[in-house]
Amino acid sequence: MDFATNFKICGSGLAAQRAKMDVVSSNLANAGTTKTEEGGPYRRKMVILKAEPVRERFDRTLEDALAEVKVDQVTEDPTPMKSIYDPAHPDADEKGFVLMPNVNAIQEMADMINVGRSYEAVVTAFDAVKSMALKTLEIGK
Amino acid sequence: MADMIIGSQPIQVPKSAQASGAAPGAGAGEGGFKSILKNAIEDVNTLQFQADDAVAKLQMGKGSMHEALIAMEKASLSFQTLLQVRNKIVDAYQEVMRMQV
Repeated sequence: MDFATNFKICGSGLAAQRAKMDVVSSNLANAGTTKTEEGGPYRRKMVILKAEPVRERFDRTLEDALAEVKVDQVTEDPTPMKSIYDPAHPDADEKGFVLMPNVNAIQEMADMINVGRSYEAVVTAFDAVKSMALKTLEIGK
Repeated sequence: MADMIIGSQPIQVPKSAQASGAAPGAGAGEGGFKSILKNAIEDVNTLQFQADDAVAKLQMGKGSMHEALIAMEKASLSFQTLLQVRNKIVDAYQEVMRMQV
């Protein structure tokens, strides 16, 4: 079934968007975290995606042109941390300032909507492929 | 299932249906069509098992939801295709049986 290639591509898209959503959730959940294993406050994470060719058959040029999406790496946002004044906080420095994560909740919400829409788009593509395959079976009925 | 090309293979008449004196079909090896059909059914069966595996994995907390659903869709599509092939075979059989002798 040649539709299997398309299913594979759609599956990789869904997995990638889900990974992005995981990172967005992690960023939002840790928007106020001041302690991490590496020390210092939580740093906002970003997912970097990369295209990976679907190479099932080498004799087909179309197959070489198609690409799945894979999570290449999860990087950290290098923007500076927010500094807030809270002398009672145990992580405050001698002047009473605490470094808070560089997570912007509004940006994360925008990312979340983006990821959700992308996921929906891939699901719609999958459904379209499925209905195409079912239509094919109606040939000659 | 992917490479199941029924049309390109000569459909063999089952031995029992052949006239007793008739020569066996030239070029058609023993069980040519039979083995294709058997492989196709086995492929469909494998996909069904893979779908079951994916669902079991999902229920055990491993694997992801979309993988399970894609496996199920694959199994369903391949089964639908097999069903169509079977319908065609039955149609052909009935056509032969309706023949005036």
